[in-house]
Amino acid sequence: MVYYLIVCRSLTYAQRTAATLERVGIGAHILRSPKLIAGEGCGYSVKVSERNLAQALTALARAGLSPKRVFIIAGDGSYREVRL
Amino acid sequence: MIYLDSAATTLQKPPAVARAVHFAVGHLASPGRGGHPAAQRAGETAFHCRTLAARLFDVESPEQVVFTSSATHGLNIAIKTLAAPGDRVVISGYEHNAVTRPLHALGARVEVASGPLFAPEETLAAFEKLVTPDTAAVVCTHVSNVFGYVLPVETIAALCRRRGIPFILDASQSAGVLPLSLRELGAAFIAMPGHKGLYGPQGTGLLLCGEIQPATVLEGGTGSASALAEMPDFLPDRLEAGTHNMPGIAGLMEGLRFVSRTGLRRIRGHEEQLTALTVRRLARVSGVRVFADPDCACQAGVLSFQIQGMDCEETGAALARRGIAVRAGLHCAPLAHQTAGTLEAGTVRASFSAFNTPREALALAGAVEALAASRRNPPR
Repeated sequence: MVYYLIVCRSLTYAQRTAATLERVGIGAHILRSPKLIAGEGCGYSVKVSERNLAQALTALARAGLSPKRVFIIAGDGSYREVRL
Repeated sequence: MIYLDSAATTLQKPPAVARAVHFAVGHLASPGRGGHPAAQRAGETAFHCRTLAARLFDVESPEQVVFTSSATHGLNIAIKTLAAPGDRVVISGYEHNAVTRPLHALGARVEVASGPLFAPEETLAAFEKLVTPDTAAVVCTHVSNVFGYVLPVETIAALCRRRGIPFILDASQSAGVLPLSLRELGAAFIAMPGHKGLYGPQGTGLLLCGEIQPATVLEGGTGSASALAEMPDFLPDRLEAGTHNMPGIAGLMEGLRFVSRTGLRRIRGHEEQLTALTVRRLARVSGVRVFADPDCACQAGVLSFQIQGMDCEETGAALARRGIAVRAGLHCAPLAHQTAGTLEAGTVRASFSAFNTPREALALAGAVEALAASRRNPPR
């Protein structure tokens, strides 16, 4: 299964993001950002499945919560930034 | 005990508040400080609390709802964000020391928009005169904590918007009682306690933040952007350094639920009824001076009175002996007493909550009547 990580600046922002996605029926799981992608240190990400990413980005844009960075978790466990 | 000191702290809370506090102590860790279930539960509770508050106070995003330890804490942040030493700040004549002391410590030039009690038009006129382009901020209480006077904050906020002056609202006595909208007021900040009309535990408060980037008064760990030396530039993390008061936040969440479920109209109506009843009864007692709006239109569930010839502290102690808890003295608001002309003598304050009953209001009136009579006709 391929997943995307929507990087959020704070836990509260991640919670808003996840709540917005869940309102439109997209499963969203909040987790601490992996150290490799956390940028400025500790942070939170929202994990969504590959099939939901496009719909998730639309819903977030509509709610004014467009993500700054999104990463894909590759099969070998590494992270690759997705160009939005 | 008949508890009539809710302007200080509401003592009787919805039972769910204590249950939530108890649960939090053993089950909620630190939000934003771990990926384990206890931290996640804490994060969910904090978010839910922010969301409830955002809905109740018409705040665009839960991120603008910052947890503080009290209204005083929030007011300090707000004032120190907007005013620097020497700046001109306009305040009402009914401010609490939570406003006047930070301004004094800061060395701000304070101008008081003074007006008589229960005279909103005169209060507004005083602000219109003093709010000038060189004003750094306007700070105003929504309800006087001494007299229950509801100040015309909507029109004062509108005046500030027209003149481009940041507005800080102290909602210590109004949050959970009167309708409040951050969006409509366009306030820079609204500060409120969690332990009064929101029925949360002591040690809680909320600061609702408008569009101005707040200054930090406390720096430390936030569980975010940890590699930076500076505090994060985003809310709520910017203002929430250190471990959260999770038992307090969990309790506050239940208090907010109670207020939302009960409805402001019902709470306000109930407190208005108790205030009017007490005022009516006290007004006919000889030797008692009641500070009241005749039709209670601009008075919340707080009222002050004096018994002629009896020190206010003596009255408070006598009422306590009769099982009635009120507060006497200056109520940490000498400016309000100065404005109302009661600085020398102080007053006795009774304040109601959603849990008081008409019977309790009548018991207070009866006890005051008996005290006044004993003062008029001392036993030989």
